[in-house]
Amino acid sequence: MTDAVLRTAPRVLGGARYLLITLPAAMVTLFAPPLLLAATMTITFAGAGFVVLPAALGVLRSWAEWHRRRGSRLLDVPFEPRPLPVTGEGPRWRRYLRDRGVRRDLRWIFVAIGTGLPTGLLALYVVGDVLFTCIATPLWWVFPEAEPLRLLLVVPVTSWAAALLAPVQVLLVGALGWWALPRLSRWHARTCLAVLAPSPEDEMARRVDVLTRSRADAVDAHGAELRRIERDLHDGTQARLVAIAMRLGVARESLTADPETAAMLLKQAHEGTEEAMTELRAVIRTIYPPILADRGLLGALTALTTRAGVPVRLETDDLGRLPAAVEAAAYFVVSEAVTNATKHSGATNVLVRLGKRDASLAITVTDDGMGGVDESKGTGLVGLRGRVAALDGTTDVSSPAGGPTVISVELPCRS
Amino acid sequence: MQVVIVEDNVLLSAGLELILDTRGIEVAACVGDAPTFLAAVEEHRPDAAIVDVRLPPTFRDEGIKAALQARRNRPELPVLVLSQYVEQDYARELLSDGRGGVGYLLKDRVSRVGEFVDALERVAAGATVMDPEVVAQLLSRRDDLVGSLTPREREVLALMAEGHDNSTIRSRLVVSDNAVHKHIGNIFAKLGLGQHDSGHRRVLAVLAYLGSGRTGG
Repeated sequence: MTDAVLRTAPRVLGGARYLLITLPAAMVTLFAPPLLLAATMTITFAGAGFVVLPAALGVLRSWAEWHRRRGSRLLDVPFEPRPLPVTGEGPRWRRYLRDRGVRRDLRWIFVAIGTGLPTGLLALYVVGDVLFTCIATPLWWVFPEAEPLRLLLVVPVTSWAAALLAPVQVLLVGALGWWALPRLSRWHARTCLAVLAPSPEDEMARRVDVLTRSRADAVDAHGAELRRIERDLHDGTQARLVAIAMRLGVARESLTADPETAAMLLKQAHEGTEEAMTELRAVIRTIYPPILADRGLLGALTALTTRAGVPVRLETDDLGRLPAAVEAAAYFVVSEAVTNATKHSGATNVLVRLGKRDASLAITVTDDGMGGVDESKGTGLVGLRGRVAALDGTTDVSSPAGGPTVISVELPCRS
Repeated sequence: MQVVIVEDNVLLSAGLELILDTRGIEVAACVGDAPTFLAAVEEHRPDAAIVDVRLPPTFRDEGIKAALQARRNRPELPVLVLSQYVEQDYARELLSDGRGGVGYLLKDRVSRVGEFVDALERVAAGATVMDPEVVAQLLSRRDDLVGSLTPREREVLALMAEGHDNSTIRSRLVVSDNAVHKHIGNIFAKLGLGQHDSGHRRVLAVLAYLGSGRTGG
């Protein structure tokens, strides 16, 4: 029995607190309809309402969101904010009025008043009556004889014997509160959340919005990558081919008149083609490492780690299918981090971990070297950061003096 | 000498045929995929096979698999694998059967006709030929192992790993026979490797040493 009481006590107290706050909140909400009406009226004053009304709806949204947050906390359910359509087409007031959420806010005003006032009043009565009875009964003799303190609504307290009824009253009202407050508070919270909850259509619209944005980011990253490749090919390989063609052209012209020069130019052109091939191979490696195309991410990483100068342990979860750009970046990240660990840190062991975390690929490379990585000293980490940022990922390098060095990278990979 | 070529890119296979033709090497068959290649090897019994790594249908490492399969079918078949890029893992797989007659070169090397044909002939004769790029990658990653070598000894080590014999090393570095012997002796002593004669066993030992995480041989 005591156990059960103790167990439910937090819910009763939580419910009472919730409803006691709900009551003044509902009273404040009473002012919402006239205020909103007034805001709308200001449209007639040189269209000031087109500014005032959205502002008022914004305040209403914050007010409703505050209620949702309280309700979510009471019911212990996750709270997801519903932001107003701040950006988009058309003037703000029209966007707001078209927003399903705003219409829900307006409906909620009446629900909040209709449910908040009675439940809040009941909570106030229960809590107030218990407190009042406890404090006032020992002081029954202070009350004027014409207006004596009454217990159980009817029994006038005119003697200490009658005052003994007080515990009965406290128990009765307390029991009512004990039973009703948690239920009413939860009912109120559920009603609020239900009225304000986004419909499946809203949820879909929100998801489309998120996807559109992440897709735009991906297209941006893709564009940056294409520009980098274009630059590499244009400044490197293409320039070399032009130089080769020029030498071959001159060599052709001087073949009979000056065979010696022609031979020298041919030799230079030949060497030029070899340099161009080497450079092209390097560019291809940065676009998409061939081993990745041949063996997939896991095979490529295995090959990478087995040929490192120090023992590298590779741990991966089931990564499923990853976008090619993410695989290429992941390979690049591990390659740079492992090279860094083996070349600069004096590590004797390296751990490479890859795992899926929500909608991103998490990579951590830990080495037991001496730490104190200085990113300004050409450690390859600058290139790593750039590559990760191009995919809208994050890089975190922790390298206290004395080690260990931990490089953590997250690459978004919504698919 | 008679060879079979498997290369799906017509430009490259035509170039290879041209080069081999000018050097008097007969191309018995020039095919574009692995199954036809295996059949051609059975049919022509060539002195060597030239294999491209990326072949249809998936253009991944079919060539490596085809080369290994061809050597399982005919263990004495010398195979020279050509690729647009080198990958140590592939080199390791090609060498894993421990027999000689294996070459792994970048396609770039074909343009140095003399050296390319020389490499092909050495592979056909049972030697092991590794691309300088593979060896350079191995050496650059293993500073810990080769740090005690002098620059000249490193050069000798690299040439050994590429599969050259002592006389080629001598003429490449323009040094005397004695000097080469002395360098090789020093290298094996410093690295703690057992002496090997100059055949493919020496290449395997050196490559295995550079590729391993252990010290000692």
